[in-house]
Amino acid sequence: MPPKPRPTARGDYVETETGNKVSRKAQLYGTQHIFLSGRAVIQPSVCIRGDLRPFAPADPASSTASSGKGTSPTYATSVTIGRYTYLGTGSVLRPPSRLHQGAVVYCPLKIGDHVFIGEGCVIEAASIGDHVYVGKGAVVGKMAVIKDGVKVLEGAVVPTGMVVASGSVVGGQPARVVGEVGDGWGMYEGMEGGDMRELWRSVGS
Amino acid sequence: MPLSVIKSEGPRCSRNCFNCPICTAPLATSSLNPDPEKRAVSGPWVLSCGFCNWSTLELGWQFENKKNMHQQVAKLRNGGQSRFARTPPTDFAKSGGSEPPSETETPFVSELDDTPDAAFASFRSFYSSQLSASNPADPLLTPSGGFNYSSPSSLARIMSLYTGRSFGKKDTGKSSLMRETSDFSEGLRIVDPTCDDEAIRKLRTEGWTRTASVAQQAGQHHASNFVANLRPMPPLLRTKRSKRCRACRHLLVKPEQKVQSTRFRIRLVALNYIPTISFKPLQPSPSTELPPIDLKAIPPLRPSQFLLTLKNPLFDVVKVTLATPVQAPGRYSHKVTILCPEFEIGSNVDQWDEALGDGKSQRSSKFLGLSKVEYAGGESGRVAEAGKVWEKGRNWTTVVVEVVCAAITENESEEDEDVLEIPVFVRMEWEADLEREGKDEAKTERKEKRELAYWTVVGVGRVGKLGAASTS
Repeated sequence: MPPKPRPTARGDYVETETGNKVSRKAQLYGTQHIFLSGRAVIQPSVCIRGDLRPFAPADPASSTASSGKGTSPTYATSVTIGRYTYLGTGSVLRPPSRLHQGAVVYCPLKIGDHVFIGEGCVIEAASIGDHVYVGKGAVVGKMAVIKDGVKVLEGAVVPTGMVVASGSVVGGQPARVVGEVGDGWGMYEGMEGGDMRELWRSVGS
Repeated sequence: MPLSVIKSEGPRCSRNCFNCPICTAPLATSSLNPDPEKRAVSGPWVLSCGFCNWSTLELGWQFENKKNMHQQVAKLRNGGQSRFARTPPTDFAKSGGSEPPSETETPFVSELDDTPDAAFASFRSFYSSQLSASNPADPLLTPSGGFNYSSPSSLARIMSLYTGRSFGKKDTGKSSLMRETSDFSEGLRIVDPTCDDEAIRKLRTEGWTRTASVAQQAGQHHASNFVANLRPMPPLLRTKRSKRCRACRHLLVKPEQKVQSTRFRIRLVALNYIPTISFKPLQPSPSTELPPIDLKAIPPLRPSQFLLTLKNPLFDVVKVTLATPVQAPGRYSHKVTILCPEFEIGSNVDQWDEALGDGKSQRSSKFLGLSKVEYAGGESGRVAEAGKVWEKGRNWTTVVVEVVCAAITENESEEDEDVLEIPVFVRMEWEADLEREGKDEAKTERKEKRELAYWTVVGVGRVGKLGAASTS
């Protein structure tokens, strides 16, 4: 038997070339539309719906708006996940949908670097910035925008279309701004919102 | 948002943002156009909540224009009628004196408007015209009715107010009489004795479901008892603040001026100067029959051991003395013992990193640090000993803390009373290298002894129930 080019990662995680640790028990749909920037951690039972993406415009009348690109969709990736981002067990990432001219249209979902997403979250945000901490069981509604350095408390429900300013703490159902993060937010390893290299390193080894 | 807008409009968004009066979720502008093809471009528009399905239709509001929602909402009153019953505002200045029309008087306020805002605006313009008429040279009042503290004459006036003596300018002594408001147009509202009858009748017929909750009332400018009177509120604006030291006024935090930027120009955080404390359970070795420590249910009435790690951010070796009350304060007295309260933490400088000129290889330095670990009793004897450090690395030291939790009686415990938090007094002593800090004045003595002491609280977890622990 010829030797394999890379030793297959044994254990529960698949480690990609860029250092992403993806659990074998995670459910990734439409993997060609999911972009992991590297060193991300995807825990078991995480579900990422990369298959929910904008379809190529069928009729030529509507494709004239994006002329020149032909039948290719305006963006190929539906889910983008930043570096050192951690997706906790059982969370669901779904690109946000909205009704546009009577049809359901999906928009890309973008998550920044050093983002922690706790267990059992449902994320349908349009974008999540860097150094964001999302507590256990939180729901981030469709087309919500979470800026950098935000803490979403456990069990919060960020309503559809909410824009959370950077440095806020949001909680409640529906989520409202309940405070501000400290001035040292995101500066230290191992703390909420902080550098997540250590967490990445500890996974799967 | 420019400062002038905030001064006149208050600290709320004055563009298109509104929060739902029922549930505080942001409202979205959506079209009611029956043709789905045209929905993106043409109205009529409503504000609708994506969380609780409330929309401005319940107030009878529809908007012709998608832009400038703030002004459109301000013109409307609940029920869909326009707030406009515009008559030219009576010029109080004509009767009172030379007071120019107030700038703050919003254009849509008319005398037929009976909202509290309108009453206040007419009150304010009336009294400011009265004031300027009775005391035309009052330097404290600006034409807009506000106070002007910046001019030297007003300062003199304030000083004379406080000292009780005439300070500088003599008091004129005569002040003409001011009259009170006498008219609806001047802001006078006479309380109608039957005005509550309507509310009582509504309460009887509509019941509890139509009354607004306290939280909903608190979100409004003018509290109202009924859901039908709630208005969508523009959200509060976020501020960026810089912070100064309480003792020496030194700037500690200063965010960047740019609105979009989330960075800081100055950010001096205490953790750059004091050790980082981390706390984790010391799991008993599998040979013993003790169950592993669960931080959500720490077994009571039994010693549990924890590892307390202090990591040094400074470039000098720090001598640390820890202290903790024998019994943690609170209703339940948990016993806490730090087995090694006095120890040293190594400096944050790594010789290898310095020699190689590579400050970034944190990972390698960490491994180097690990290789230097000294165990208290060798690899095999992993038993916590009093007076000995558990583990030591390049710039961190771990000691063992023993906690005996008190039993918590289930029936009378309040919320979060089972949380175990340990107050720790940290005293650190080190010799700061003045040369490194760039202070060359002290050439004779290169090192300076420094000392810092503070209280901190370490959160551990929750104490388990007694019954649950005995069954496990």
